[in-house]
Amino acid sequence: MTDTSPDLPAPGKSSKSLLPDHDRRQALRRKRMRRDKMSRWGITAAGYGVVLALATIFIYLFYEVAPILRGAAVTPQDSYTIPDTGAQTVQLLLDRYEELGIQYTDRGEAVFFNANTGVESQRFAMPVPAGARVTSFGSAETISNTAAFGFSNGEAIVARHDFQITFPNDIRRINPQMTYPLGEAPIVIDEQGSALRLIAVENMQRGAGGTAVAAVTEDGRLLLANITTRTNLLSGAVQVNRSVNTLPAVPGRAQKLLLDKSLDNLFVLDDRGQVHYYDISTPAQARLVQSVDVGGGSRVTAAEFLVGAVSIVFGTEQGELSQWFLVRDAQNQYGLEEVRQFNSHGAAITSIAPEYTRKGFVVVDAAGQLGIHYATSARTLFLESVAERPLQQVAISQINTGLLWLNDQGQVVSADLWNEHPQLSWDALWNKVWYEGRADPEYIWQSSSGSDEFESKFSLMPLTVGTLKAAFYAMLFAMPLAIAGAIYTAYFMTPKLRGVVKPSIEIMEALPTVILGFLAGLWLAPFVEDHLPAIFSFFVLMPLMMLLFAYVWGRLPGAIRNRVPDGWEAALMVPLILLFGTVCIQLSPWVEIWFFDGSMRQWFTDIGITYDQRNALIVGIAMGFAVIPTIFSIAEDAVFTVPRHLTQGSLALGATRWQTVMGVVLPTASPGIFSAVMMGFGRAVGETMIVLMATGNSPVVNFNIFEGMRTLSANIAVELPETAVGSSHFRVLFLAALVLLALTFVVNTIAEIIRQRLRQRYSNL
Amino acid sequence: MTTQTANNKTGPTDARERPAVSAAGARKVAEREALSLADETSKIEVSNLNLYYGNDQALKDVNLIVPEKRVTAFIGPSGCGKSTLLRCFNRMNDLVDICRIEGEIVMDGKNIYDRDVDVADLRRSVGMVFQKPNPFPKSIYENVAYGLRLQGISSRRVLDEVVEKSLRAAALWDEVKDRLQDNAFGMSGGQQQRLVIARAIAIEPEVILLDEPASALDPISTLKIEELINELKRDYTIIIVTHNMQQAARVSDYTAFMYMGNMVEYGDTDTLFTNPSKKQTEDYITGRYG
Repeated sequence: MTDTSPDLPAPGKSSKSLLPDHDRRQALRRKRMRRDKMSRWGITAAGYGVVLALATIFIYLFYEVAPILRGAAVTPQDSYTIPDTGAQTVQLLLDRYEELGIQYTDRGEAVFFNANTGVESQRFAMPVPAGARVTSFGSAETISNTAAFGFSNGEAIVARHDFQITFPNDIRRINPQMTYPLGEAPIVIDEQGSALRLIAVENMQRGAGGTAVAAVTEDGRLLLANITTRTNLLSGAVQVNRSVNTLPAVPGRAQKLLLDKSLDNLFVLDDRGQVHYYDISTPAQARLVQSVDVGGGSRVTAAEFLVGAVSIVFGTEQGELSQWFLVRDAQNQYGLEEVRQFNSHGAAITSIAPEYTRKGFVVVDAAGQLGIHYATSARTLFLESVAERPLQQVAISQINTGLLWLNDQGQVVSADLWNEHPQLSWDALWNKVWYEGRADPEYIWQSSSGSDEFESKFSLMPLTVGTLKAAFYAMLFAMPLAIAGAIYTAYFMTPKLRGVVKPSIEIMEALPTVILGFLAGLWLAPFVEDHLPAIFSFFVLMPLMMLLFAYVWGRLPGAIRNRVPDGWEAALMVPLILLFGTVCIQLSPWVEIWFFDGSMRQWFTDIGITYDQRNALIVGIAMGFAVIPTIFSIAEDAVFTVPRHLTQGSLALGATRWQTVMGVVLPTASPGIFSAVMMGFGRAVGETMIVLMATGNSPVVNFNIFEGMRTLSANIAVELPETAVGSSHFRVLFLAALVLLALTFVVNTIAEIIRQRLRQRYSNL
Repeated sequence: MTTQTANNKTGPTDARERPAVSAAGARKVAEREALSLADETSKIEVSNLNLYYGNDQALKDVNLIVPEKRVTAFIGPSGCGKSTLLRCFNRMNDLVDICRIEGEIVMDGKNIYDRDVDVADLRRSVGMVFQKPNPFPKSIYENVAYGLRLQGISSRRVLDEVVEKSLRAAALWDEVKDRLQDNAFGMSGGQQQRLVIARAIAIEPEVILLDEPASALDPISTLKIEELINELKRDYTIIIVTHNMQQAARVSDYTAFMYMGNMVEYGDTDTLFTNPSKKQTEDYITGRYG
């Protein structure tokens, strides 16, 4: 600083430097270094933050979805001897609180016992008529708590156990009770007084109501008693009306009777693995419809309805398990068909206990194995040996968290069960599933209904197809308009007009989609329905009209043409388009009258095309509008930034403007246009409000433009507020979210790879 | 289109071109003897050309005769209008919205600013090479074939032939014949510029406009381009804009000096550089301004 050599004039002497001196420069350097460091750390942290946030979303979604992949877990708790060892146990049950077990015996007794200790708490004996003995037992659907005992004198009693729950001193007390819905007096089933060898009972809750008892007598007759009761309001006395019909004889020796809840169908299982299906909808004219071999040649050792009494699960001597239900054929005739098979146990099935509210069931076999299966998803969630001895009976609690099983020496084991999400599997989510009551396997999304017996239909196929369908039609509408508009605006339009057009279209992006959806659903959808010919004219005639206008314009004498400056021709189209649109709309009713008998919509229906008011066409237009600004803006930038020297080079070679667009501009701008389209597609896939309001939300699997759809995003929006947290439905919605994320992720990844390739190919200097 | 194809095939024997070739051969254009505009066949005649960008006049009453199969150079300081004038010959100025032109440019007896002139066709016969090499983002082959495809030629055989011929004419064939399908961006700047020239001559123009073709190139590449210009003038009328006076002196037969939109002096290159008739010209070529 103090160097005063003659060559270098000392700063500040001859000419004073205005720049900061050494100390200040050093201070400034330190300050700059601090700022550099800070910004480096800040930017790094922000970058990792973004990645972390994304990862967290993924991890959270996985965390919520993961439990559906787990099978069932069974933890044995206590072991004890069944209270009544002297009698044969005909049914074992476990109450809703998993405190009490119930043992129905072949002596006509119901023994209630502590499910953890086996200590008997109460015992009820059926009112067996004097001189008779119990000869048969049959249980109605387990949730109705109803059972029937048949006696040796041809009479039967219907019993119903119940629990009275009180809370003395805030402690739950469960008092078992036994009631007789048809009165305590046994009902005569067989007038001839023959012993009832087999019995089945079922209540019909819908319609007129009533109870039916089916029985097979010792001498092989099949009887059906339909019983209605009327309770006297004053005296409380129950008046029982019954009508007994003798059904066509069973071809074979009956083993078990299964009566469904509609009291329309009776299935009789014989000792050779055959099921004889009786139509008993009119008991007096009951007929044998068909006999089916359900055991595949082996003897069927257990058969039980699943909840809802639609599906029957048969278990054979060989340990095979299969699900069957009545399927209506083309001639409107019902027939019993095999729907699916489950993993084999390899040993004779001894007892099947259906779940109370789901289509699952628990199975025990003669080899001491316990199996937990689920019908809809065809999953076997648990199949392990839990005992050394053959097992005889199994019971599951109403809330699917407790099990009881009984071996052939009267030993009971109670166990805890975890089996939360048996109805979800890859097949159930993505493949066709044969749901109860359907004629064929189908893709269906129907997550809930008013009834507990309802079979949840969680196929993600309709939602995924719906998502792609909505995005497809939106892109079909938006892509040509947006890309052609972008090319015109960037390349042909005069800069002044471009300065107006581009921002206006970009402002459309800011339009709240809820408004678009609202307009689409409540205004556009009915409008389109009423003016179908006009809409078709727009799509078909409008481009033709534009081409015609361009042609005529090109042929006009220069004197007229030169009045419009280059690049402003497009502005001339605006009034023409408006005029044409108005004419189309005005003419639309007349066209309908002249050609479509007054209603084109009706005409569609007549020629067999389904037409929904809120359909893919509406969504295509509405969501197209939402997507256009995205595609337009990026594509326009891409075309506009094609270097001038390339276009000039092409023009200088004698290319027309159009040849230049096709030969040089579009290839060079293609990576940008491609990204624009992909961004638009991503937006269309994730869009929620428009599809929610304008699609009708029917989860159908088709690509018909006149039908609606339900998308993954709209489905999540609709159902998430109504689902129980932690339920399978809840988790499947998270899975839908994950699928949506994965879909956009895959699409974007592919798009990015293609874009990189294009960019490499068409990169400019 | 078919005649075009025929031209490509028959080339020099075509009736329209035969006298030109023989004339060129007879004159031995490589040597620079005492040239005089009066002896030349005129290719383009510019008369009273005024050009305005909005309200600014960029060319003021320019008059000029461009001789056939000669190299004519435009020199002058930046912004003097030499590039603007060059762009008038293939009407590239049409692309500028605010540009307005008065006067005539007559090429082969026809005013190119007449209403019935097809601009695309004009530009085919008046090729242009820009300052910055501007190959298209395509393969080398497709770059050269681009102009032919525009003319509707799709026969592979014809394309192959013309591409090779053009690349040879542009002295590029030996360097690229093994990588014709490679992207043109992989070439060096000098190669790219020669590719652009090959692209221009593939469509058999009559006139080639060179707008500072070597200003973005290194000395070796510049030399190659200059040699190429010397070759090309046998078959084409060449107009070159350059701010490099040595280059103008080296490659051109005639030179026009422009200043502030005016054509100050125009004459054969030797005379203009050794014995300019105008003071302004002398000042410029001796480096007093520029």
